[in-house]
Amino acid sequence: MLAVPGVYRTCTWSLRRAGFPSSFLRRSSTAKHVSALPPKLLERARILSAEHDQLSAKLADDFDAKTAERAGEIFRVAAAFKQYEKAKAALSELESLLKSNDAEMRELAQEDLNDTNTQLSDSSRELSVALTPKHPFADMPCLIEVVPGPGGTEGRFFADTVFKMYQAYCENKGFRSRVVKYESSDSIGAKGSEGEIALQEAVLEVLDEGSYAHFRGEAGMHRVQRVPATETKGRTHTSAVAVWVLPSFPENSTSSSASEWDNPESDFYIDPTDVKSEKMRASGAGGQHVNKTESAIRLTHIPTGITVSMQDSRSQHTNRESAWKVLRSRIAQKRREEREEVARNLRSSVLAQSQLTRGDKIRTYNYGQDRCTDHRAGVDFHNLPDVLRGGPTLGKVMEAVHTYLAESDIQALIADEAAAAIASTKAKNGK
Amino acid sequence: MPRLPPSIFWRARREISPVASLLLPVCRTLQSTANELRWIRDHVHRTPSVIPAGIRIWQLCEERSRGVPLQYLLKTQPFGPLEILCRKGVLIPRQETESYTFHLSSILSSSSSSSSSSSPLTILDLCTGTGCIPLLLLCCSQKSSSHFSCTGIDISARAISLAKQNLSHNLALIPSASSSIQFIRGDIFSTKFTSEIYAQHLPDAAEIDVLTANPPYISPSDFRSQTARSVRHYEPRLALVPDSVPSEVSKKYGCREEDVFYARILEIAGDLKPKRVVLEVAGWEQAVRVVEMAQAQRDTRGTDYKVIEIWRDDVHGVRDAGESTEIWGQRIRVKGEGDGRVVYLSRLLD
Ligand SMILES: C[S@@+](CC[C@H](N)C(=O)[O-])C[C@H]1O[C@@H](n2cnc3c(N)ncnc32)[C@H](O)[C@@H]1O
Repeated sequence: MLAVPGVYRTCTWSLRRAGFPSSFLRRSSTAKHVSALPPKLLERARILSAEHDQLSAKLADDFDAKTAERAGEIFRVAAAFKQYEKAKAALSELESLLKSNDAEMRELAQEDLNDTNTQLSDSSRELSVALTPKHPFADMPCLIEVVPGPGGTEGRFFADTVFKMYQAYCENKGFRSRVVKYESSDSIGAKGSEGEIALQEAVLEVLDEGSYAHFRGEAGMHRVQRVPATETKGRTHTSAVAVWVLPSFPENSTSSSASEWDNPESDFYIDPTDVKSEKMRASGAGGQHVNKTESAIRLTHIPTGITVSMQDSRSQHTNRESAWKVLRSRIAQKRREEREEVARNLRSSVLAQSQLTRGDKIRTYNYGQDRCTDHRAGVDFHNLPDVLRGGPTLGKVMEAVHTYLAESDIQALIADEAAAAIASTKAKNGK
Repeated sequence: MPRLPPSIFWRARREISPVASLLLPVCRTLQSTANELRWIRDHVHRTPSVIPAGIRIWQLCEERSRGVPLQYLLKTQPFGPLEILCRKGVLIPRQETESYTFHLSSILSSSSSSSSSSSPLTILDLCTGTGCIPLLLLCCSQKSSSHFSCTGIDISARAISLAKQNLSHNLALIPSASSSIQFIRGDIFSTKFTSEIYAQHLPDAAEIDVLTANPPYISPSDFRSQTARSVRHYEPRLALVPDSVPSEVSKKYGCREEDVFYARILEIAGDLKPKRVVLEVAGWEQAVRVVEMAQAQRDTRGTDYKVIEIWRDDVHGVRDAGESTEIWGQRIRVKGEGDGRVVYLSRLLD
């Protein structure tokens, strides 16, 4: 499932290298209509729909699990395409009626026109969603990494808040989660205005399948505006926290996922000889002579320079396993992003060039105004305490982001088709 | 050990917590102090009590500052996925032991998958202490299809009772343990040891696949000068120094005092003929002596170990550097990083 064929040039939101034109961002958050579908997409839908009809006919005669699976995969496209065709046909009929000489006829047609237009835009939207390839990591569990942005302790305190927010959200939603790493910075004693600790870095694993798709929109810079505990003049400070969402392997790594590790084609494959493992403790006597408690481990992936250190557990073994888990996830995400970069470069000839960079904020939590704003989805929500408790309001924010992500995936898909069309024309002209 | 500069105490107090300065002299670094304090706090919050948490944390830090091992205070030590219960009077499992036990387990699983035999793998662990070695081997085997049958032996009644507790404490992770592992009190120096073991505890003429042992291996003088204070003052001498063996018995072997358990265990191995023997040792020099003792058996008893290896402190998950050495004309593979920690003997060419 993970070895991604090249045709899946899906666009995903990931802040590390995201690049959507801001004009599009604004439009997409309010857009209700997807403008006319490019011919290429319609052609693909038509082919898949025909295939579905064929498979259904075959299944009626004699059931076969493989055929059924394929039919299930393309069912949504086929159904949406039929709706689309129906609306299209209705529309052309209405249009001819509008030209009618009979005034009453024209009036009736006019009345139906609005409904039919809505049907058409709904079905084209559904069709493009159905055509959008699923993100290759979508079904996986995920790791949520929380790291304070540069600057003072206020960012660290807020990092703790963000971490607890996701932890509570998982609990409220009934997701199974596990703290992989929760490391505070040196000044453990100090507490933030809400009693937080100064977080250095934390990793939460959400074990449910599909968590990656659920949380991937949370990746990016989260900004806080509030009055810190240490602020005597009552001034509001702004700090930032980075959130990364990485794909992770299911808990009881079944033989299939274990073989993904050994498969050099897989995004999760790491050549063990590329990794340097260090124990972070003073050397000296070992064995029965001492009963050491130091258990910290640091792994360095030499080709990429990615390092992971882990010292949460009293067991060196557990620390090493956790470090490998995080390392695999980071590397898989990086490889994925590199491929997406290629796809985006192709697309950029079609979409405008205003880039959103790694440092751009995706969300603001403003305590004074009791407000949570998602800048991509262009939505404001009040009841900040409920957001930070991981309550239903955070769920609404995330829903808005899901809608936004779906829209941008569609736009990217359309842009991909357009870019491919341009490229093929160029190739033809070049001949 | 060098004295710590006063400034570091001040930093521990200011940057970690006032109680941190209690832990610093035993932990030595700020990082390690912060970790131990976190583990102590976690422990207190996980184990409810009528005594307020703050007081319990302070008490534990105070005891720790006197050198009491953290594992005795928290009453556990993780060992792979297992949680091993630790009690005064029984040695705390070490990280090096964990590392080579994992390594042994991977050797066993790769060899059992290639052989088609369905009879269980028989493991005998001498000087078992908490029982950590056979329990971890069994735990690792749960995923594979191979069956194990383990016996752990210790002279200490406390150790045997704790090993049994460890079995039930970890039953969720090793469901097969209740039927496939037994802990028995016994003195390996007893003259009837091998016959009794066979008569009472092992199936008739069972072949032993693996004999493991982490015996006492520190000489009395090293015990005074080379062990950490918290080991010397708080862990059982019986588990560390082999001087509980009567001198007339140890004289018979004509070896160094600290090597006497290896002489005896190799003798037992000569009788029981296990396919593999895994012996933890104190360091490189003792490893070489034990290898020589094993080689000497070829002439005296006809016991031929086709493969002899020395494993270093970290051997599991560490890349093989292809190191080797030669002892008495035999090529000895050396695996892992750190000091010499294990002598591995095998009658099989694996
Ligand atoms: C170094 S501890 C090893 C404990 C455990 N196997 C481990 O690795 O953590 C040595 C053990 O040998 C036991 N022992 C000492 N003399 C013995 C003897 N003569 N026969 C059997 N066991 C003995 C001690 O009670 C102690 O539990």
